[in-house]
Amino acid sequence: MNGVRIGWALARERLRGASAPLVLFLSCAAVFAIGALERQSDAQSAPDDALSGAVFGLALPLLAYLLSERVCEGQRLERSVDAIARYGTDRRAALLGVLLASAVCTAFASALLTIAALLGAHAPHSASLLGDLRASVGIALIAGAVYALYFGAASLLGKRGGGRKWALIIDFVLGAGGSALAVPWPRGHVRNLLGGVPVVDLSQSSAWLALLAIGIACVALSVLRTAK
Amino acid sequence: MSELRFEALNHVELANVNASFGAGTHVVVGSERDGSGTLLALAAGLLPPAAGRVLLDGVAPWSHARTRGRIASLCATESLLPARDVARSLGLALRARGDARSALSVLDRAGIAHFAAQRVSALAPREARAIALSLALSHPQPALLALHEPLSTAGILEQDFVLKTLSERSAAGAIVLCTANRLEDAARLGGNASALERGLWLGSGQARPPLGTFTLRVHTPEPRRLAARLSEAPDVSGVEWTGTRELLVHGSELEHLARSVVANARAEAIRITALKPDAPALEALAAARAGLAQAYYERARGDGPRDDARSRS
Repeated sequence: MNGVRIGWALARERLRGASAPLVLFLSCAAVFAIGALERQSDAQSAPDDALSGAVFGLALPLLAYLLSERVCEGQRLERSVDAIARYGTDRRAALLGVLLASAVCTAFASALLTIAALLGAHAPHSASLLGDLRASVGIALIAGAVYALYFGAASLLGKRGGGRKWALIIDFVLGAGGSALAVPWPRGHVRNLLGGVPVVDLSQSSAWLALLAIGIACVALSVLRTAK
Repeated sequence: MSELRFEALNHVELANVNASFGAGTHVVVGSERDGSGTLLALAAGLLPPAAGRVLLDGVAPWSHARTRGRIASLCATESLLPARDVARSLGLALRARGDARSALSVLDRAGIAHFAAQRVSALAPREARAIALSLALSHPQPALLALHEPLSTAGILEQDFVLKTLSERSAAGAIVLCTANRLEDAARLGGNASALERGLWLGSGQARPPLGTFTLRVHTPEPRRLAARLSEAPDVSGVEWTGTRELLVHGSELEHLARSVVANARAEAIRITALKPDAPALEALAAARAGLAQAYYERARGDGPRDDARSRS
């Protein structure tokens, strides 16, 4: 348990600084503006378009990628905890702490992005705003956490964690479809939860389970591929 | 009693290193280019070996967290853990080690408490190494202290403090394995000297040569370079470096051995200031005498290979 806490503390220190909140603030401002523009063109579909396009289609995967890069200090996931493992901390426990911090931060950022986009896409005092927020923030939280774990596991590949980049590209390319090729990537299931085209005709409740399974598989892979 | 072993170790510069160390001080002379930094990083469990094994008390430190917790290390390049200031960074390292002491007490003991409030990002590389060394020396019960150039932080850390702490740890039964690029530093650190030259391991001069070999004592101002060259010579069965300007060169035939030493030194333009044969060990004489007696016995019985017997006599 101490190792998880140390890993969490290490990730927190790596995220400290003005740049991370600044990037988050700018991203929120951008998705708010996109939501407002969507409302100008078509008020009815503006919330859906802003969420599925700007927030979950682009901003969230990019932010999760950048956050994973920062938390791992641009290294492979298992080597990113070497700095504390040298003092006797179990690498696996420390890695869990790092992944946990990364997942919590990305989930929080994802929720903020969703709120900003919906505030922009809905007219002020709109009756449907609260209902949309309630439905979307839950999806944002799980999508953020799963993306963080997904990029964490991808960081196990490549000399300096270059697998992250490939994971981003693969999620964009293969996750965009609805065939069986889209099953292992988070994008298709998040789209399904938002009311978009499902992956291999999975129901929305199955999409929740699929995201959960991807998250668990990523954690298990990360832990098992790391020496103590 | 702790034991550190390198078994057929190959990693980047290091070529087939086989060595073992018990409690006490051991100094490996060699630069980073020779692989000394890599050797220590492997010993401390900071790197997984590409081939071969590194074992501390029979356990590989790379894959065993508890064993790493018994190791205090100082690398060639140190970057402290990320934090607002040095005290917080050291605090995190102490928590990772399971050490309840405060960072300030560790820095204060080393006489560098003035760094406590300094930003980690503002530290010069030598200052970061000095702070990392103070942390390593503060380990309460290390089985191994693996320190790269511990005396190179002079001017920031008191040399007497470093030497005294190392000698205390060594006396308490820890393995103190240090590297030094300069012979003066190696002499100050004391203990058993060995060397690395372009990744080749040159064992301690105190190792006993195998029976039936001749030994030449070669004095040269460039012992490590000559040792590296001789270690590849066919007439030379082994080279040892005593930590001074003297090399012990082993071979099976004295004349060939001397010729080989001179030829290799000439090829590398290395000056030899003295060359003298070492008196053979009593065991070697006894073995030679026994071999001779065996040969005469076999010849008398008529069942031994005559040529072999003649060549031995």
